[in-house]
Amino acid sequence: MSEFLRRIYYLLHRRRLDAELEADMEFHREMAARSGDASFGNTLRLREQAHEAWGWTWLEHLLQDLRFGARLLFRSPGFTLMAVLVLAIGIGVNVSAFSFFDMVALKPLPVSDADRIVRLERSSATNHASEMAYPSFLFYRDHARTLSAAMATLGVPPMQIDDDLQPTSASFFTPNFFTELGAHAAVGRLFSPARDTGPAAPPSVVLSYGLWQRRFAGDPDLVGRVIHIDGKPATVVGVTPFDFASLGGQGPDLWMPIDQQPYFVARSTILQDWTTSSVRMWGKLAPGVSPAQAEQEFRALTDTLRRQHPEAVWPGEYIQSSPGGHLQVMQPQVYRVAVMVGILALLILIVACANLGGLMLARAVSRQPEITLRIAIGAGRGRIFRQLCTESLLLAALGASVGLALACAANRVILARTNAPHWLSATPDWRILLFAIFMTFAATLFFGLIPALQIARQRQHKTVARQILVGAQIAASSILLIVAALLLHAALHALYTDPGFGYQQLISVDSRLGQHGYTAAASRAYLDQMQARLRALPGVTSVSLVKLPPLGHTVSFSNVEIHGRSITIYPNWVASDFFLTMGIPIRLGRTFLPAEQHVVIVSESFARQQWPGQNPIGQLLGNGPTKDMVIGVAGDAHINALSNDDAIEQYWAAQPSDMPDMVVLVRAAGEPGSLAPSIKSISQSLDAAVLPEIRQLKLLYHDNVNQVELTAAAVSLVGLVAVSLAAIGILGLVAFAVTQRTKEIAIRIALGARPLAVLSAVLRQFRWPVIFGLIAGTILAAFGSRLLRAALYGVDNLDPLSYATAIATLVVIVCVAMLIPAARTLRLDLARILHYE
Amino acid sequence: MPMNDMSESVSPAGVLPMLILRVLHSGSLHGYAIAQRIHVLSSEVLAVEEGLLYPTLQKMLRKGWVSAEWGISETNRKVRFYHLTPTGRAQLASELSGYGRVTQAIQEILRTA
Repeated sequence: MSEFLRRIYYLLHRRRLDAELEADMEFHREMAARSGDASFGNTLRLREQAHEAWGWTWLEHLLQDLRFGARLLFRSPGFTLMAVLVLAIGIGVNVSAFSFFDMVALKPLPVSDADRIVRLERSSATNHASEMAYPSFLFYRDHARTLSAAMATLGVPPMQIDDDLQPTSASFFTPNFFTELGAHAAVGRLFSPARDTGPAAPPSVVLSYGLWQRRFAGDPDLVGRVIHIDGKPATVVGVTPFDFASLGGQGPDLWMPIDQQPYFVARSTILQDWTTSSVRMWGKLAPGVSPAQAEQEFRALTDTLRRQHPEAVWPGEYIQSSPGGHLQVMQPQVYRVAVMVGILALLILIVACANLGGLMLARAVSRQPEITLRIAIGAGRGRIFRQLCTESLLLAALGASVGLALACAANRVILARTNAPHWLSATPDWRILLFAIFMTFAATLFFGLIPALQIARQRQHKTVARQILVGAQIAASSILLIVAALLLHAALHALYTDPGFGYQQLISVDSRLGQHGYTAAASRAYLDQMQARLRALPGVTSVSLVKLPPLGHTVSFSNVEIHGRSITIYPNWVASDFFLTMGIPIRLGRTFLPAEQHVVIVSESFARQQWPGQNPIGQLLGNGPTKDMVIGVAGDAHINALSNDDAIEQYWAAQPSDMPDMVVLVRAAGEPGSLAPSIKSISQSLDAAVLPEIRQLKLLYHDNVNQVELTAAAVSLVGLVAVSLAAIGILGLVAFAVTQRTKEIAIRIALGARPLAVLSAVLRQFRWPVIFGLIAGTILAAFGSRLLRAALYGVDNLDPLSYATAIATLVVIVCVAMLIPAARTLRLDLARILHYE
Repeated sequence: MPMNDMSESVSPAGVLPMLILRVLHSGSLHGYAIAQRIHVLSSEVLAVEEGLLYPTLQKMLRKGWVSAEWGISETNRKVRFYHLTPTGRAQLASELSGYGRVTQAIQEILRTA
């Protein structure tokens, strides 16, 4: 039996063993008395000393302190309720934020070998692409020894089931996708490499559980039936499970084998195309292989590929792997968002803790007699300090439990409201519990330490601690308010700023001719006819072509520095009447001639920044040997970066080789939605195999703005919570400070002091903390908000209006919170106070 | 316990466990008898205070050097007798040799310095 076990045994039997020891001592005393010595010491004290030899004293003290703390909290339910509520908010927000981080980045997907799944992406010093060409994927799959399996997914625009008006989301998958993830069908079967490989396999489709329920009412006999997808018949072979966990959060409603892509998208050559990045690659590391080893092998494979197909590989390209077994593949920018959210949540905790610290200090004054008594009868400072900390810990544990429950409830609601995957649950896992425990200790440290130190040192009446707490609350609240104001301003900016083009009347018609095997010449013929027939429609005012349509699926940009300022350039390739159709004004110069070469049109802000005070027309642009001449300046139009004032545009004339990728833009005179049927019938008569994607820009624009509004609303809510907490805290502290000096105030007024002067004397102690808090908060916000830059849509992170609004709001709230309790004192019955005292 | 002014209390504290182990080596004893035996064997020079004896016994119980069992005292009372465990025996041996070395070293210094 080891010493530890003996100690445990003692702990469990300590009553009996203690009684035995007492009997020993009793006997000892009797014997000693018999031999004439009556000097046996204090039995109780001796027993305690013997008891301490077992080393359990700390535990007994802890239990004592906990019992005592619990009794105290129970006796002042008002304080306890308030404190637990404040802590529950502070800790709950943090736990909730962490839970989402956990769901997105830490929790392994419920699939087989989640820890071995990697996402493989093309990367080089200057380029990065999430997708690679399908032939490249096949090359890597066939040659990589470090992977035990390779999967590819090909995302495509939504497709049409039978005669549905609403298109349905769809993707193509390598048939091993389901088998490698270990998924089993809800009904029927999922794809398997044995049955669904090769273009000769019978056309088949797997439906998502949601689509099966929604569109087919969960019909169990659906399996085996033939449906038409973009007009092509295909057999429904099965339905994915309800809680299916897919990679990278991809969850289309229609799943089809990748080898059948040319069947569903007629004449598509994308699977043979070495230069179009089309599929996402996932790999499963062979057992015992590290991601670094895999990357090493892939470097060699990329070099081999470069020799065989130089057109398929960028200079300096390598394949970058990142862990894929989570809901999201974490990219640096996602981490940046996570850090930002984490900081905001921590600020709330700081406000809550500073708030509670103030309450604890106030309570300490009323507890002074008790503490003095305990010190007088021999309690050490350390013991008192420990007991106060235990009390705080108890409070924090209560707050954390409530906070955890609140966070779970909130997350459950959020998960239910959003279309999160069904396998995600809001039930906390061990990581979240650990985090909550950590938060409990952190909160105890934040709110309990300063008051406990002060009380143990008998300095309850010192104002310094109170001032520190007020300062911290003000600083944290001002940061939160400034951030909320910035985001709100950004949302308003996004809502009420003209994006620079008339989106209300626009429709984009994307026929994806390139994917249907159209050559440049055939595409040109198709598009010319399409445009001519659209122009002839009544209600169409203008038609044009663009390569990257507004709010489209593909966004291309590059970052450059102009005169020390980093800006994002969005390039585009357009036809002559693009500017007219989009409603973008030509400020200077002219538009393109058809297929004009070596000329460029730039946006207003680019011209202003690049050539300040000069005439941009005739300037040369470009880094290569052939430079492009600026022939026109167009109005700013943030086509693919709505409301981002940092975005600038450059346009080139679409060349004949661009034709298979071009998208038709239509400007309607009236309601654009009414044109959709005519556009559909035109495209059907041109080529029945090609079903264009018809999108109303008005709707896309509103979706985009909604997201901005939602973010701003969420952050404002968080800011509001923080400010209310701070207001309550300051209210309480001032009320306390005033109560503490009621007698002094009464005497002063009785002696003829003016109430206002008395008031300012009482409130003076809060003046500097508030000012310092505001200054510190503003400086921190000014530095910290640089992280926010991307979310601000061009609103400067030092935007004075937002700062002024936030600070003014805070000052008003603080003033009100101070004046309410102070004014109440002034109305008190002076005679009675003096009499009472 | 017969205490006279000539008795020295056992110190330093580290020696007491060794003495207890030594007197228990020849058989199990109850607490009072341990104190007595040390007092008598030291020709009434050393006295063991109860305040040190019982915490030390508890510590030795914790370390597993001794264990306690119920027995009947010479005065016909039910009382706990402490006896050595094998670990305690080993501990005694190692303490004795350690103590021997230390006292020898001290003697050396006292003689030659």
